[in-house]
Amino acid sequence: MFARALATEFLKLRRSKVTWFTFAALSIGPLAIALMMWIVREPGRAAQLGLLGTKANLSGLTATWPAYFSMLTLMVGIGGMLLLSFIVAYIFGREYTEGTAKNLLALPVGRHWFVLAKLVVAAVWWAVLVVAVLAEALVLGAALALPGFSATLAVRAVHDALLAAAIAYLLAPVVAWIAMLGRGYLPPLGFALAMLALGNVFSHTGWATWFPWSIVPLYIGAIGQRVTTLAPSSLVVVALTFLAGIAATIAQLRWADNAQ
Amino acid sequence: MAIATRALTKRYRDVLAVDALDLDVRRGEIYGFLGRNGAGKTTTIRMLLGLIRPTGGQVEVLGRRVQPGTTASFARVGYLVETATAYPNLTVRENLDIQRRLTRAPRAAVAEVIELMRLGELADRRARVLSLGNKQRLSLARALLHRPELLILDEPANALDPAGIVEVRELLRSRASEQGVTVFVSSHILTEIAHLVDRIGIMHEGRLLEELDRDQLRAKERLYVEVGVSEPTHAATLLADAGFAHVERADDRLRVYDAQGRVPEMARVLVGAGLEITELAQAHEDLERHFLRLTRGAP
Repeated sequence: MFARALATEFLKLRRSKVTWFTFAALSIGPLAIALMMWIVREPGRAAQLGLLGTKANLSGLTATWPAYFSMLTLMVGIGGMLLLSFIVAYIFGREYTEGTAKNLLALPVGRHWFVLAKLVVAAVWWAVLVVAVLAEALVLGAALALPGFSATLAVRAVHDALLAAAIAYLLAPVVAWIAMLGRGYLPPLGFALAMLALGNVFSHTGWATWFPWSIVPLYIGAIGQRVTTLAPSSLVVVALTFLAGIAATIAQLRWADNAQ
Repeated sequence: MAIATRALTKRYRDVLAVDALDLDVRRGEIYGFLGRNGAGKTTTIRMLLGLIRPTGGQVEVLGRRVQPGTTASFARVGYLVETATAYPNLTVRENLDIQRRLTRAPRAAVAEVIELMRLGELADRRARVLSLGNKQRLSLARALLHRPELLILDEPANALDPAGIVEVRELLRSRASEQGVTVFVSSHILTEIAHLVDRIGIMHEGRLLEELDRDQLRAKERLYVEVGVSEPTHAATLLADAGFAHVERADDRLRVYDAQGRVPEMARVLVGAGLEITELAQAHEDLERHFLRLTRGAP
């Protein structure tokens, strides 16, 4: 039954503009970072072209691979977390926005299979997106011929970005639950923004390693003092959030009133 | 029984949407579930399908109790509830293919139901561009695709044109008579289903007010005499004084329900008072009127 549910969930993405929108949104990130690197390296030519060379210089950036990777990880970690929330909000919320949720509820397929199938679709979508964007970033960095490249640095940067993406994914089921609870797109997006803001607040209180939405920003150095390895407690918190999110989403679909 | 509910109740805070409903729908029959808007029809249907949880009581569909996690009986149920919906980015065929996969229907079922619902020309159009009526056809096709034993249809005639309504009525009738399908169909318009159903249940304010089989439905078509007369208000008073107890005003005419065998007497009363009779005809009471009488508390 899971295979059938999964096949239909992939079919639902056919001709969906949202998939292309998410690719376009995240692929703009490396382009923007590469452009900044170019402006920092060649402020004269950038000024001639009317680009804001002065501002880029003032930001203290250096046009090197370490700086490039650092910004890339930030982009995947923070921007990606929001984009993943958007993906999950779409996959789960569309059934309510488009009025099709009721068509899933009285079938010979257990409702939990739809939740799991949707989460697998989100995982595949997210993984393809992140890998494509990292490949794009490496090509752009190479084209810029930035100094300071090493294989160790590249492996570390890709590792950090993938780990940040994985942790962001583990928080996604809670967003799915909010999409079902709120029956649409907006509540989960509002929730994701609020959690990111709260994560920032917690980073200043010493609770950052315990609050799920602080862990990615802390790990990639977006907030507080950057940590190089995740504390076991953080991993437990993230794992529990993942499981609780799945359980809550299944319970919502199974037990709650699902009238539209 | 195809459907059996016992003391089925749904309460939303202060609103009692369905009040201790006992409903029995026999296998193979066409049951019309009639009620005005807000009578509790859709809430009942949602509970039959497990979309919402009853506050009290229980539901059985095709011999199995409906509770959270129920799936087995729904393989044999096709349904359309509330408005017609479909994935807008997918074509008619793709929308039906989703249903086919989830109900384990054979591949050929999609083409068959497209033909049955006359959706052939629209099969490769996206659901987004369909008219409301065609969306309704798609939703009906979705309900019929896996050849269910029980069809639960909430206002299936919504958005259909008159020809479409007749077509769907014929389709449901043939499914019931040729394949033994049980049809549970709701409507707020009695005439729409009166000539289709074997039995009818009238819901009002969450309660089942009355159940009638086909013979009882016919018996409810009361005879009356319609009188076109000058000064109808005065005429009504004269007839009441003469012992005609059930006289109703219908626009500029009177409907006299207890005039059988007393038409000459009635005419004498009116003419004798100097009134002019312009028309005198015997007629059936429309079933709709019976429905309104029940749900509005009219005499």
